[in-house]
Amino acid sequence: MGRRTKIGKKIGYWFGVLKATAFSTYKEWAAYRSQMAISIFVGPVFFLIQLFIWRAVYATRTTLNGLTLEQMLTYYGIVAVIGYLTYDSADWDLQWLIRNGSFLTYMLRPVSYCFLAFAQKIGHRLLALWVEIIPVGLLFLFVFKIRLVPAEPGWALFSLGLSFVLVFLTNYCIGITAFWLTKTEGIRRAFLTLRNLSAGMLIPLNFFPAWMQKLLFYLPFQFITYVPTRVFIGHYELAGISLSIPRVVGLQVVATLVMLVVARLLWACGIKRFTGVGA
Amino acid sequence: MKNNIRIYLVGAKTALASRMAYRGDFFMSMLIMLLVEMAAPVITILIYQNGATFPGWNMYEALLIQGVFLLGKGIAYPFFFGIVWNTIERVQNGTFDLLLIKPKSVLFMAIVTGFDAEDLGKLVGGVTLFTLALSRLPAPEPGAWLQFMVLFTITLMVMFGYGLVLAGLGIVWIGNFRVYEIFESITSFGLYPTAIFSKSLQTIITLVIPVAILGSVPATVLLGRPSPGTLGAVGVSLLFLLFSLGFWRWMLKKYTSVGG
Repeated sequence: MGRRTKIGKKIGYWFGVLKATAFSTYKEWAAYRSQMAISIFVGPVFFLIQLFIWRAVYATRTTLNGLTLEQMLTYYGIVAVIGYLTYDSADWDLQWLIRNGSFLTYMLRPVSYCFLAFAQKIGHRLLALWVEIIPVGLLFLFVFKIRLVPAEPGWALFSLGLSFVLVFLTNYCIGITAFWLTKTEGIRRAFLTLRNLSAGMLIPLNFFPAWMQKLLFYLPFQFITYVPTRVFIGHYELAGISLSIPRVVGLQVVATLVMLVVARLLWACGIKRFTGVGA
Repeated sequence: MKNNIRIYLVGAKTALASRMAYRGDFFMSMLIMLLVEMAAPVITILIYQNGATFPGWNMYEALLIQGVFLLGKGIAYPFFFGIVWNTIERVQNGTFDLLLIKPKSVLFMAIVTGFDAEDLGKLVGGVTLFTLALSRLPAPEPGAWLQFMVLFTITLMVMFGYGLVLAGLGIVWIGNFRVYEIFESITSFGLYPTAIFSKSLQTIITLVIPVAILGSVPATVLLGRPSPGTLGAVGVSLLFLLFSLGFWRWMLKKYTSVGG
């Protein structure tokens, strides 16, 4: 009983830290909400371009790679919303702190930097929820008639949650490379480019040649956007392999756990190189 | 003029030297700048490889439009579009004042100190795509090349105009680097044949906001089938340049020097 109370107290403490950090990040970023609200313009404009591209492409056919025009547009709608929902800047933030030496102050705190950064992401995205995600979703619904209703809401929500964590962990790993590289702009951009392409953010992955689809199937990037999008639609297929929704979400859990281990290992190696001098 | 060129070259040299402090990161960034711009061509190639098309356009014609667009961007970004991030950054941390006290125009100094070496990767990408697409198409007539050169010069002028508008916005909209996203989203219409858009949108991007001039208008001249409204697009582009110069001056007057 005493042990249970102790664990409960500990959970309560961490939840308190998470809540306080998320709330302060929310308030801090609320001052820049007009910057965030740019997505209300940018998101629909990019979507409008996709609308015309795919309307032109579908002018002479009803399906392409098994997708109808409506499904294709829904795909891009979901991709946009997932992008807003899971966005974070853990990579940039960490490399900036390491480069100017102010990371030192985080080492003096009684909370791990990883936990703090994750709590900041939650606060940041909570603000984004009403400043950019809901307005963009409503624009998609009323202007473009794209209904962003998941086929299986429970699985879709779980998959989105995993994607949220996975994006954080991968970005966090990129940030950790600053312990070795100091300035990580190049590797950060390289990773983002590779990720956007391999995660299906530019075009559904089943548009790639068969050999590349097979390669992408074994890479972890698909779990960031492609898998949650297909879970949202209710049907997963890549490289000719169809998986049930619970199975593909199970794989996503494994990918998240693997990423967590990678992040921990990288951190353990990288932190030894920190000198606190900056560069 | 000679003096200005000398100052510009010194600015470029300094920017390159300071960027070279992180050499590995610089070369990687340059390579990535090239790859980032390849998103639209990759989508186009994948669409055609999957047996679909933009009606009335073969793959290399569509890629030529994107090649022209990227070529324009590849020249603008390293050589004068740096005025945008340079202004936003300086206004935010208060060092924009240093440009105001120099014995040269603020605009010129903002361009000189905004040279962006890593964006040369975009230029490499633009030249590669343009050359590749053109090599797979019938060779244009000398007259078409001449018309293209004139239109492409206007493309660069329009890019400069956009740079001025975004930098001007950066003076009053403190620290907002997302103005780049606004630019990217609007100008993305210029990456595709105008014919795929609705009639009203075609009119808007050709005769209201100069977007078609960034890609499809010059490219169609090379293809020997000039876009309808080419002359109108040229007129609108020149008006846009005048507007952007006026906008920049107007925003400059609003500068408060308090940072952000």
